[in-house]
Amino acid sequence: MTKNFLKGDDLPRFLEILAGYGELHGPVRSDDGVITFRPLCGPADLLLDYHRTLIPPKKYLLPPRETILAYAPESGYRQPGTPAPKIVLLGVHPCDLAGIAYLDRVFLGNEPDPLYDARRSALTLIGLSCEPDDSCFCGDRGVSSAGDLFAERTGGGLSLTSMSRRGSEILEKLSPFLAEKEPPSSAQRACSVLTEITLAAARQETFRQSPLWDDFAARCLSCGACSLCCPTCYCFDVLECGALDGKTATRLREWDNCLFRAHGEVAGGHNFRKDRRERFRYRYRHKYLGFGPTRGEVACVGCGRCREVCPAGIDLLELFTGGCHETGN
Amino acid sequence: MRPVTDPRTMPEPATIIDLRPLSADTVFFRLRLEEGAASRFTFLPGQFVQLSVPAGGEVPVSLAGIHGRHGILELCVRRAGRVTAMLHDLPAGAVVGIRGPFGTGFPVDAWRGKNVLLLAGGLGLAPIRSLLYHLLRNRPDYGEITLMYGARNPAAILFKEELAELSGRRDLHLFLTVDFATEEPAGGLTCRTGLLPTLLHGVNFPMGNTVAAICGPPALYRCLTAELDNFGFPSEDIFLSLERRMKCGVGRCCHCAVGSLFCCTDGPVFRLAEVREIEGAL
Repeated sequence: MTKNFLKGDDLPRFLEILAGYGELHGPVRSDDGVITFRPLCGPADLLLDYHRTLIPPKKYLLPPRETILAYAPESGYRQPGTPAPKIVLLGVHPCDLAGIAYLDRVFLGNEPDPLYDARRSALTLIGLSCEPDDSCFCGDRGVSSAGDLFAERTGGGLSLTSMSRRGSEILEKLSPFLAEKEPPSSAQRACSVLTEITLAAARQETFRQSPLWDDFAARCLSCGACSLCCPTCYCFDVLECGALDGKTATRLREWDNCLFRAHGEVAGGHNFRKDRRERFRYRYRHKYLGFGPTRGEVACVGCGRCREVCPAGIDLLELFTGGCHETGN
Repeated sequence: MRPVTDPRTMPEPATIIDLRPLSADTVFFRLRLEEGAASRFTFLPGQFVQLSVPAGGEVPVSLAGIHGRHGILELCVRRAGRVTAMLHDLPAGAVVGIRGPFGTGFPVDAWRGKNVLLLAGGLGLAPIRSLLYHLLRNRPDYGEITLMYGARNPAAILFKEELAELSGRRDLHLFLTVDFATEEPAGGLTCRTGLLPTLLHGVNFPMGNTVAAICGPPALYRCLTAELDNFGFPSEDIFLSLERRMKCGVGRCCHCAVGSLFCCTDGPVFRLAEVREIEGAL
């Protein structure tokens, strides 16, 4: 038995130690009732029992809009010296940790992205166990590799497990406040749709003949909410913003969306995904079959956000449960 | 001295040393990279660069020349949007930015000993020109070389002088066609009237041990590949340079996927066999 149990009363001590690693952020209910990751004002702010935030933690690694280059005539293009502030993000559910692990593979794999790399190194992640609801379906994904510490809620406190060197260091500092307690047995979550997704991805299923594509296309408003709230959607657009001096400029990258019409457009106006049906298939393919280096990887982490926020009630999971099987490209 | 930066993420300055219009909407640019960047820049025909017009933005452009002259890049750019319009307004001596090169290019080494059929439509001549000059520079390595080039009308034929010069070569079969003509093309070029797929029917080209390289507007691929199918041309031997809007060039922004392949890193040159069953690829 290891000393890893933190009583609920000692949560403030835990936060004090974590504050040495950066500004504390966590799930907070805002004044307008939206659950959001934001700076914590105190321990009472932190929600330990919540379903999901509206926007996933990707915003800490890929801000909705960021400067990637700055241009001035005398110096040409330069990388901006944007400092990455040290942040400790608490209360991250396993699905969101899995989302970050996926983004790590994309942005830190081959040729790391320097801006992502700087933010990621400055981020300490404290995972938190959750209770599934009707929208989510992560199943039993196990503990992802992305976190530093994982906190399992159990009988009046938190059972802490280290997942990185930084996590072990934090536990070490916290040890005066830790008690011995049998770790909670993790409940097995059966999830039939996850099995369906895994099987479909393994056979490179495209559901080419499914009538659902037309149904989705007819209802979709192209609002982009599904991508905004997705922990693994990372498509970005690149924009150049000339300054009012007419000489200098900044180059920005900002979240883009594969359901937007302009996503597949080329110079001269030709569009390779001009109708919504094609754009939905593009989204499906990226999410479940993978592109480029993530080919063969399911990007969906089962957080349930897109099903919850879609104003038209579109749910890609219907593809998997609809019983239409046809493999093709 | 500038610090060494990653040429794939940081635009390197390049000076426009020469520019000349090729048609009403297309300009040929010759750019020179600075010393350090020039020595690192090598490329294969079919690869592309990301060209930055300062304070305007960035566009993907095929390399139209061949690797060789120290740090000199040749690009052929049509005025098609905001950034290319700004580029067309720049004078010689202006400095632009270059990232790259990106993509895979044509597998020219694997083609040694084979006949090569080059099919270009419109601005698609740009990467095909790069390929052609590579083949001609290494002429003994290849069998018969045939170039078929189609333009909308005589005024839209790009590189007229070069084509006229090339038409005199005995080691190259050159055929030109225009969709419609109300006048003779200038410069003494011999030119047929009709679409490129029709031209394929009218001329002889070697069929065995031959690879084909195609670049042109989206509509061209379907027609040409259907014709080549009719001739019994194997789809593993047909190479297409596909157009997409690559924004990052390094497989991250996700605008250029063709099926599960990225145009920017897995392409833009694909074998027809790889992409023909992919919905929306052609």
